[in-house]
Amino acid sequence: MRIGVDYDRCEGHGLCEEQASALFLLDDDGELTYRFDGHEVPAEQEAAGRAAVTACPVAALRQT
Amino acid sequence: MRSAPRNVVVVGESIAGVTAARELRHRGYADSIVLIGDDRHGFYNRPALSKTVLKDATVDSLSAGGYEDLDISVVRSAACRLDPTNRSITTVDGAEHSYDAAIIATGASPRRLAAPSQQGERVLRNFDDSLSLRRRLDGASSAVVVGAGFLGMEVASACVAKGVSVTVVDIVRPLSRLLGSMLSNQVQQLAAGHNVRYVEATGPVSLVGNPVNGVALANGTTLAGDVVISCVGDVPASAWLAGSGVVDQLGVGINTSCATSLEGVFAAGDVTYFRDGGDGLGRRPFWSNAVAQAKVAAASALGQPCETAPFDDYFWTELFGVHVKVAGPLSLLLDADPVEVEGSLEDRNAILRWTHPDGRAAVVAFGRRMPVGRLRGLASTAGV
Repeated sequence: MRIGVDYDRCEGHGLCEEQASALFLLDDDGELTYRFDGHEVPAEQEAAGRAAVTACPVAALRQT
Repeated sequence: MRSAPRNVVVVGESIAGVTAARELRHRGYADSIVLIGDDRHGFYNRPALSKTVLKDATVDSLSAGGYEDLDISVVRSAACRLDPTNRSITTVDGAEHSYDAAIIATGASPRRLAAPSQQGERVLRNFDDSLSLRRRLDGASSAVVVGAGFLGMEVASACVAKGVSVTVVDIVRPLSRLLGSMLSNQVQQLAAGHNVRYVEATGPVSLVGNPVNGVALANGTTLAGDVVISCVGDVPASAWLAGSGVVDQLGVGINTSCATSLEGVFAAGDVTYFRDGGDGLGRRPFWSNAVAQAKVAAASALGQPCETAPFDDYFWTELFGVHVKVAGPLSLLLDADPVEVEGSLEDRNAILRWTHPDGRAAVVAFGRRMPVGRLRGLASTAGV
């Protein structure tokens, strides 16, 4: 599984980080870093990653 | 102690419903999950409906991938009855779904103002509402929004973004019921700066025309608009539960375990209110709260304890390009002006903080980008 991030849509809420802190990191200004951009999500992080996709309130995350 | 369920029915393909299903699997539940929902678009991100979708003509899907991984049986129909004696839920397609545990997550429905025979009232709750309102605004030159709460002001923002002249009417000033007078003033200035006309009504308003083409005020004047949108709050979507004993006029009452008054029936999200547990928790129809309650409801349905709280105070809005994010008890905002203001409200770049003698604190990021974790951190360090 991969996760696509629409950085233009991201508003820095950070709910993804609360669901999957191993995948998503936000700095103090709410700028998002997704650690596996363009790569497969590690198997042990897939469930957390899917939960993050569900929790994003602005639909900036997508399973691909 | 009852045995673990083998058959869980989740009613409502909402953020609460889908989060509950995900949490059931996360907790190791491997038996049947039936998810009941009648929206033809399936699961999607509702907060985007009044923001992204209305403004951006290119957005025709909010599907984020959903829950294919969860091995769920989806019933594309609406629930119409819950029978607590036989432990079954009936859908309008005629099917019956028996449950050991049920999680009610049917959300809320918009309040309406139109008379029963009156056509053309616009509301905004689901994807089709949003797509259809967007199309209507494309051909409109003027709009009247009834209600100056979050939804009303977000719809007014979308009107501005689309070049539609907009009037907002309410009996109280914009967002003052939720954010208090200081931030309400700011929102009103912001709106005025974008040529939004605000009309403070002195009494109840009604919709005129059939189809609706205006709003009649108590003083006898009428506000006319090509489009009239009612943003006057929502009510728990619980009509289907009539006669089941699980619902009253406030919605589906839950305790802090998200258990209802019925054995084996739990609930989460906008359909609920806290019936005990005190603290004036009441009804909290916000996204983050639905997520928090869904996790607790899923744990309780499995007879497991839950480590996280059944509520979450975080919510946000976007008004005329300014993001407003709030963490902490909202009631603090209403009592007084903030004790601390860092940055500048006029520049739309400020952090405001309210504290209560009992140690609670609320924080608002006004136009400043700040992730929820940091905002929550500021709200939990009162007195520092």
